[in-house]
Amino acid sequence: MTDTAIPQSRTASGFPFREWLGRRKVVSTISVLVFFVIWEVAPWIGLVDPALTSRPSLVYVAAVDVVANDNLGRHIYVSLLEFSWGFFLAVLTGVPFGFLLGVSRRVRYFIDPPLMALYATPRLTLLPIITLWLGIGMESKVVVVYIGTFIPVVINSVAGIRGVDKSLTRLAHSFCATRNDIFFKILLPGSLPAVMLGLRLGLGRGLLGVIVAEMFVAQEGIGYQIVAYGSSFRVDYLLVYTLLVSFFGYACTILIRRIEERLDSWRTSSQWTGGV
Amino acid sequence: MSHIVIDQVNIAYDKPDGGGQFVAVDGAELTVEQGTFVTIVGPSGCGKSSLLMAIDGLVPVASGNISVNGTKVSGPGHDRAMVFQEFSLLPWRTVVDNVRFGLELHRWTKDDPDERSRRFIRLVGLGGFEDYHPHQLSGGMRQRVGIARALAVEPEILLMDEPFGALDAQTREVMGNELLRIWEQDKKTALFVTHSIDEAIFLGDVVVVMGKNPGHIKEVIQVDISRPRNTEVTDAPEFTGYRRQIRDLLSDEIDDIRLVEGADD
Repeated sequence: MTDTAIPQSRTASGFPFREWLGRRKVVSTISVLVFFVIWEVAPWIGLVDPALTSRPSLVYVAAVDVVANDNLGRHIYVSLLEFSWGFFLAVLTGVPFGFLLGVSRRVRYFIDPPLMALYATPRLTLLPIITLWLGIGMESKVVVVYIGTFIPVVINSVAGIRGVDKSLTRLAHSFCATRNDIFFKILLPGSLPAVMLGLRLGLGRGLLGVIVAEMFVAQEGIGYQIVAYGSSFRVDYLLVYTLLVSFFGYACTILIRRIEERLDSWRTSSQWTGGV
Repeated sequence: MSHIVIDQVNIAYDKPDGGGQFVAVDGAELTVEQGTFVTIVGPSGCGKSSLLMAIDGLVPVASGNISVNGTKVSGPGHDRAMVFQEFSLLPWRTVVDNVRFGLELHRWTKDDPDERSRRFIRLVGLGGFEDYHPHQLSGGMRQRVGIARALAVEPEILLMDEPFGALDAQTREVMGNELLRIWEQDKKTALFVTHSIDEAIFLGDVVVVMGKNPGHIKEVIQVDISRPRNTEVTDAPEFTGYRRQIRDLLSDEIDDIRLVEGADD
């Protein structure tokens, strides 16, 4: 075996301990472990009330019970379906709508006031009226997710189109581009990074929307379970569902980031190669 | 027949505050013969870029007429190609895809666009960089891509709007020599806008000197320096003669600026 790395800070044992401690993955893992240890130990030594904080070991036991006996599949299914429909419809309509607003000044002036009003209104204040209109079934939650996702998707799509370098459209005109050429070869690829940012922001807002809406008006779903366990002081069970939401949001964000990085490679990786 | 005829051309823009129009070019008259390298030199705001944009068809003329091969210019056409000061490369496309962009827009069918793009990349000395993205290239290399893109569509007329304006002095000199090397191969009609007097003389068969307030053509000077030229000619007595002549023409312009600025105060 040959070691190609350059040894820099080897200790007497030969293991590059300091270098190893500087790595991001190592430090991040240690951070998570430290958190769990403190969380486990703190109630034992009387620092916090175990009834309010629970402990990782108890949460683990609760998680096993939830998976086996709590109809978890159904709750995930309901929340995921509400979220997916809302998110999907918001992207499907929001991106073209944003492009339209980005291209046409007149439409933008017309739509801007109501859109900004909707943007400035906390979505949950709309929840009662949405519930009145649509009831407490899935539809009301789909609409809450939709509104939450739609707005950042539209706003970032508009910004994407408007942010495309004007000199590039002039270049295309100079080479006799048609309107279609300008849209498909300049505006669309040029706005893609901003559109993806809109999707990432919309994801977080949509997820928040589905959980909170379920907390207020639902009979099933992850948000409903969180409230139910909260009001019966079952912190360990409550945390199982909370962690589930965190994990899902985290995974989706990472996924979209990956896509963004791939699309964005022309912008993020910068390396000058020299030469005139 | 002259290749390009510019006849009593006025170019005007709407003022951004909506208060009437701003005259960029006033009564420009110029004829350009086939195969001539014309340089246009003048201070900022003399309308030299506007005139070039109008020849490309990107900017409409307010009055007068521009014709190419006897046909009135009413918009961009396949017979003209432009090299822009700010390079205007698509950052998400590689070098070869950027060069192919012009061919795509022209719906090029004479030969394989990919092959052709690669050939022109080699012509401008960028062989080996086909798959790089613009952000990985230096300014000079980026403008080589811009030149390859314009040449690849086989224009009759090459229009260049301060193409080396964003480059440092050394790179600029190298690029000027490169441009002449490429141009010598088939001597297309070329119009080259610059604010550098030396660059204008070094490159041009004809130097068009423009003044401002409003933008107008002051003088058209024939440059009788034999080709092919290299950097040494810039020290030749006839070169310094042209330099002095143009500098004198433009020195009034600088005084004008001072007067106008004084009047504003």
